[in-house]
Amino acid sequence: MRGVLPLALFQARNDRWLLPVWILAIGVLSFATAAAVAGQFGAERDRAAIIAVSAVNPAFLFLRGLPDGTGTGAVAFFGGYAFTAVLAGLMSTFLVTRHTRTDEELGRAELVGAAPLSRSAPLLATLLLGLAANTAVALSVAAAFLAAGLPVPGAVVAGAAVGAVGVFFVAVAAAAAQMLPSGRAANGAAAGLVGAAYLLRGVGDALGTPAADLLHVTPAWPSLLSPIGWGQRSRPFVAADPMPLLVPVAAAAILAAVVLLVRNRRDLGASLLPQRVGRARAGVGGTSFLGLAFRLQRATLIGWCVGAAAIGAVAGGLGPLASEAVAGNASLQDLIGRLLPGARAAMLDLFITAMLGIAGVLAAAAGIQTVLRLRAEEVEGRAELLLAVPVSRDRWLNANLVMAVGSVLAVTSTAGAAAAVAVGLSGAGNGPAAELLPAALAHVPAAAVFLALTAVAFAATPRLAIPLGWGFLAAGLLLGEFGDLLGLPVWLQDLSPFRHSSAMPVEPFDPGGALAMTVIAVAGAGLAAYLIRQRDLTA
Amino acid sequence: MRSQSSPVIETTGLVKKFGRTTALGGLDLAVEPAEVHGFLGPNGAGKSTTLRILLGLIRPTAGSASVFGLDPWADPAKAHRDIAYVPGDVSLWPNLSGGEVFDLLTGLRGGAQERLLRELIEEFEFDPRRKSRTYSKGNRQKAALIAAFARPARLYLLDEPSAGLDPVMDSVFRRQIRRVAGEGATVLLSSHVLSEVEQLCDRITIIRTGVAVETGTLAELRHLTRTRFRITTVAEPVALATLPGVHDVRSDGTGTEFDADASELGSVLEGIAAAGVTTVTAAPPSLEELFLRHYSDRNGRI
Repeated sequence: MRGVLPLALFQARNDRWLLPVWILAIGVLSFATAAAVAGQFGAERDRAAIIAVSAVNPAFLFLRGLPDGTGTGAVAFFGGYAFTAVLAGLMSTFLVTRHTRTDEELGRAELVGAAPLSRSAPLLATLLLGLAANTAVALSVAAAFLAAGLPVPGAVVAGAAVGAVGVFFVAVAAAAAQMLPSGRAANGAAAGLVGAAYLLRGVGDALGTPAADLLHVTPAWPSLLSPIGWGQRSRPFVAADPMPLLVPVAAAAILAAVVLLVRNRRDLGASLLPQRVGRARAGVGGTSFLGLAFRLQRATLIGWCVGAAAIGAVAGGLGPLASEAVAGNASLQDLIGRLLPGARAAMLDLFITAMLGIAGVLAAAAGIQTVLRLRAEEVEGRAELLLAVPVSRDRWLNANLVMAVGSVLAVTSTAGAAAAVAVGLSGAGNGPAAELLPAALAHVPAAAVFLALTAVAFAATPRLAIPLGWGFLAAGLLLGEFGDLLGLPVWLQDLSPFRHSSAMPVEPFDPGGALAMTVIAVAGAGLAAYLIRQRDLTA
Repeated sequence: MRSQSSPVIETTGLVKKFGRTTALGGLDLAVEPAEVHGFLGPNGAGKSTTLRILLGLIRPTAGSASVFGLDPWADPAKAHRDIAYVPGDVSLWPNLSGGEVFDLLTGLRGGAQERLLRELIEEFEFDPRRKSRTYSKGNRQKAALIAAFARPARLYLLDEPSAGLDPVMDSVFRRQIRRVAGEGATVLLSSHVLSEVEQLCDRITIIRTGVAVETGTLAELRHLTRTRFRITTVAEPVALATLPGVHDVRSDGTGTEFDADASELGSVLEGIAAAGVTTVTAAPPSLEELFLRHYSDRNGRI
């Protein structure tokens, strides 16, 4: 189709800094995982041990994926694939929304739409750009595994497995962009589906059946509902079979064709979910900064809470099932007892603790997003309208910080409450289910540190606020959750606020860590409130 | 204590640099109480930058600005107490209805006057129930104007407020300006719509590339400028072009047009009388001409 290639190149030019960062980051993460496995589990015996422990631990299975033999490549793929696949999915989501619904919402699509091109040409260009970006991701992952000394066929198939998930979400995000009225909503829906893909795969893998040698796990059916589950089936370093990857890619192709048809028949700016009429007057609290912050974040926060409830429910509902499976198998119990002394009774707790840790990360992300609203308000010119009123700028910042902390509380307590209810219903658990609520809330101080850091970034370097805010979270995750795997020194790992959260219910509550994080968060908020008064409003 | 005559807005030597670009290069501006002050200049002259400094949204690189005798950067909240503002490029919260935007913006200023708000919504023919996402540029502009006028203020800072309004809505807007001016409020109206400024403003400051090039009442500015004559004469007014103070003589089949300096009007009138005038029209220069004169660079471009 005429004009598609120039449009795709134009869109690529707009993304010339952003996409390389995503692509490189995914490659670097793959390399680091493979290098860490080779370094820390150099001996086959060590790898067999870690795989066996993982195979019977639903928390590991849920978080990581399917153990599949003891080769270095296989262990690296098991450890890192689900995360890199999620990253590829998110990259694709944001890429597609940026060039479709967001452009439409901001009127740029109208400008392009006036050119002598077919109606779906810009969308087709975006789909092509998504395909190209995910090809680059696949090459980046393959190159990373090759650089780590892994065999060629495995590295290539592993890269393709990551890229295939990305391609699937290119089509999914394009569909979301047709259906939802705003870029924000489209991003939220498509990113939620990325989360759902991870969750479904996690549930399927956690409910999977370990083989007798504990080196392989056969996933349960929910894995097959997820493109990430299909990606795992390619078993790069065992079978190197690209055929299962055709499933997500073919699904993407069909979906993309439908989406292009829809775009050809759809009015510019129209969406499946129509624009509703709003209220003629503001509701309660609609005349304050805090009320505005709540009003703006409400819908998104509900989305985060749904995700948190899913995680909590999986933690509380799946854990007992998995630990029963282990309990019914004497030889498994024996093995776990040898590998993890004292861990048998705590299997359920371990799983719930890990899941609540994820809820803590989710809560931090929800809070960061709330703080970064400030930057969107500033860039899009609404802050100018808002700050011409006789209320000071730091009150504006503080209102959004209060809302961000409220978001963190809402997400963590939703996860904790869902876990408690699920554990209560299943009648399992090693302590009162109600303890899971404080266990979830133990992650609030660390999340608050991220909010304060993001607020400082917004106040001090507004143009960098968005990359810095999310960068802090990525760094915290990398140091805190992957630091062990990557063999980083302890002091470096300890820089991550997540390391100072009490891992309840496995560990007791540590008031010292919580207090230190709270003090840092409050100090950061104070610094941000000071800095925000010192700078110009900048677009 | 401020005396009654101290200016509501006063800037001296206001400089604002954004990196290497200079947006304002030493702007002097004084707006007296209860006047409607036109702030005239082409795009990029520094009008919006000035208004943002007056609101304390950005800090001047050098020079001083005061609003109601207060430094807006030092204490914006206090300075804003009696200010209503309409930005040049109105951006609203896509998910909020117009009504919610009014309540938010007036609420933060202390609350709208309900009767006034209802009247404004009616006069501007505005549907407050629609989500802001669905508003056109003109409707967003109306929303910002309604929010600004729905609570009385002592100072209205309006940045090209009528951009995007149709002629009917434009007349509603002018009526509102006259209303608030009649109630004793001060208005600083930035614009490049000349007829608007001519009709509404008591005094005018013309700004070009960040510097005020002219300030005064419309009458004072006209005093500095030429009057345009159109005459028909019995004899050919051959000697017209040689008279001092006469410029741009153009003749067509029906008459002659020329501009005359205000200082030379006497001798010009004698000169044309000698040619045997049958008809004469003399018009003050339109602001358009003032504007073109001040903004044309050496090459005559604006």
